[in-house]
Amino acid sequence: MMGVVRILLARLAQAGFVAVLVGTVGFALMHSLPGDPAFRIAAERYGPDMVDAAAAEAVRAELGLDGPVLPRLLRWLGRVITLNLGHSLVSGAPVLPELLDHLAHTAMLAAMALALALPLGLPLGVLAGLRPGGAVDRVVLLGAVLLRAVPPYALGLALMVVFALHLGWLPPAGFESPAAILLPALTLALGVAALGGRVARDAVMAVEASPFLRFARWKGLSEAAVVRRHGLRNASIPVVAVLGLQFAALLEGAVVVESLFSWPGLGHALVHAIFARDVPMVQGAALALGLGFVLLNALADALAALLDPRRARGTL
Amino acid sequence: MTAALLVEDLHVADAKGTPLLRGASLQARPGVPLTVLGETGSGKSLVLLAVLGALPPGLQAQGRVALAGTEMLVAPPQARRRLWGRTVSVLPQEPFLALDPTMRALSQVAETYRLVRGFPRPRAQAEAEARLRELGLEGTGTRFPFQLSGGMAQRLALAILRAADTPVLLADEPTKGLDAPRRDEAARRLRDEAERGRAVVTVTHDVAVARALGGDVLILREGAVVEHGPAAQVLASPSHAYSRALLAAEPSRWTRPARPPSPSGPPVMEAVALRKSLGGRPLLREVSLTLRPGELVAVLGSSGSGKTTLGDLLLGLMRTDGGEVRRLPGVAPWRFTKLWQDPPAAFVPHQRLRQGLDVLSRRHGIPFARFGSGMERLGLAPALLDRLPAEISGGELQRFALLRALSLDPVFLFADEPTSRLDPLTQATVAPMLREAARSKGAAVLLVTHDPDLADALADRVLRLHEGRLASAGCHPGGPLGL
Repeated sequence: MMGVVRILLARLAQAGFVAVLVGTVGFALMHSLPGDPAFRIAAERYGPDMVDAAAAEAVRAELGLDGPVLPRLLRWLGRVITLNLGHSLVSGAPVLPELLDHLAHTAMLAAMALALALPLGLPLGVLAGLRPGGAVDRVVLLGAVLLRAVPPYALGLALMVVFALHLGWLPPAGFESPAAILLPALTLALGVAALGGRVARDAVMAVEASPFLRFARWKGLSEAAVVRRHGLRNASIPVVAVLGLQFAALLEGAVVVESLFSWPGLGHALVHAIFARDVPMVQGAALALGLGFVLLNALADALAALLDPRRARGTL
Repeated sequence: MTAALLVEDLHVADAKGTPLLRGASLQARPGVPLTVLGETGSGKSLVLLAVLGALPPGLQAQGRVALAGTEMLVAPPQARRRLWGRTVSVLPQEPFLALDPTMRALSQVAETYRLVRGFPRPRAQAEAEARLRELGLEGTGTRFPFQLSGGMAQRLALAILRAADTPVLLADEPTKGLDAPRRDEAARRLRDEAERGRAVVTVTHDVAVARALGGDVLILREGAVVEHGPAAQVLASPSHAYSRALLAAEPSRWTRPARPPSPSGPPVMEAVALRKSLGGRPLLREVSLTLRPGELVAVLGSSGSGKTTLGDLLLGLMRTDGGEVRRLPGVAPWRFTKLWQDPPAAFVPHQRLRQGLDVLSRRHGIPFARFGSGMERLGLAPALLDRLPAEISGGELQRFALLRALSLDPVFLFADEPTSRLDPLTQATVAPMLREAARSKGAAVLLVTHDPDLADALADRVLRLHEGRLASAGCHPGGPLGL
């Protein structure tokens, strides 16, 4: 267990690093907005016709755009680290609640994608790994390469055309009906299934060829006992590691797919915020993505350490 | 006495009909260890797989293999498999790799009692603990294999086999990768198993194992039995020419050349008070060493003693924690070089040997013809140049590695267990080439090995690395150095 604690502490330090980095970039962005940032922000907020010096001064005071750089940066970072992310430059509403809402949508989408990807990819990968070079292996390889090669927006469009336009089974976009999550989730899931299946195939192949599996058979264990006691756990180690990373990557990969399907997740919010130069929102979304990445990596590491005693004891 | 295992006129051929085993016969009786001695490609592992009924698909077998009344060549797969763990069990090659890396030691023993012999859980646990105790593994039940030493892993594998307690026990190269003391320990434990009334069949390339086991010996060459009889007789006065060559290939029987006058000239390589820790463990505590041109110095040590690390520090492949390495000044860095333990790992797998030498010749301006004369000296046929590393034997590949190293006119050559992956007869031809290299090129050769006989047969000086310190080992002809 000490090993797991050590891993989690290291990830916590990373999370702090991510927060400082994102905060600093956010600060720099804020001050590199063209023109007088106070005027610029006031214009975004109240409309160009309503801006006057008084409104700009009010914004300047509110956002602390005055004074020497270093204390301003430290004040800014202090607010970021305490998750006081400020107000949207566009709507004036606090960033945090809005962010949490987007985050929930993204997490839901990623979880759904993973839930679809596992039953799609793993059984095929295991079958392919049991007979490397066989028919299943070759078909699965071809499918995996095609799915990984097609960019998500093209895959998403294709799914939209087939399932929403032609068949009319699923809504093409939006988030009003529960079924709306299926198409974006499937778009993400196919890529994850392709990768997960390949990793599972290699893991199964390696374990199947390993001296310890042969020894387990020679010990006289039944095939079911061999697979249950010696096969599954060892084969799952690389699969869990890769799927953990993939799940984290889903958060970011969602940027394109969320925009395509108008899914109100973090990626969607990030794109809108960038177009609107809404720096607090951009910063908040980037922070949420970065911290989410660290958190999921930590979970994947902890899970891997529980599966593989060598990892928990730092010998790998 | 009836044979627990009977093999009669066993022929095995691959899918193309090439014969791999040509009429092997043997029988194993309880209490009398049988050792099948042969080199790579002799078919000795096929005998073992045929006995198990685990020949790879695609091979065709003829003849008869009778294991406790079951005809293994005709029985259906399920019937053959039912004998595993009940009638026959196998001590695997490199037990460390054969143990489940994610399962604790005790569970790996207990599952045999519970799942193969059907004991209830508490009794299975108690029996498993008793087996661990018997083999001196008390208190290691909760450890994972990576927390065991190589010797402990081997004893854990034996504990599993004792749990199975099958009348027939097969051992597949049980001493692969072990140094001399641990090799002898493994052989002694196998003899113990035979003395417990089991029929023990051991497959090995190591004559010393056959000698330590006693019992019967069968010598295989290219799929055919060349000699068969009691170990004492076969090993003392072999009747077949091949058996004699195999026995003469043991380093302890090599003829030692006269020692040359003590080497002169400035030291090529000097290490002063080297220190190095790996993974928090001090490996080298204070090692000093001077190597002069033309001398071959052997460093002996058991596995994990730091002998490879020492060579790598001298070459600058690793950073020292303290101390100093002094090289002969004004010598190009590539003239300090290394011969690797595992020849295939030292070559680009998809590059034909000619291409590799070509690159070398262009990079260093060596006329390609020089390789030709070198190959002739090392006994390498020109046709080998157009093969891939995987298409020639380990001995040939190691000679190419030596050719490659010598073509750069080395002043210092670090040979890291250069023959440990080679068959005895191949070792007997390759190893003396190192000494030849030291003599003819005037290079200082540092030979690192775990085999005291090899060190003794080749080196001008033998040093022993023990607990991080280097000491003169002196000469103890005919005996291990008690590492």
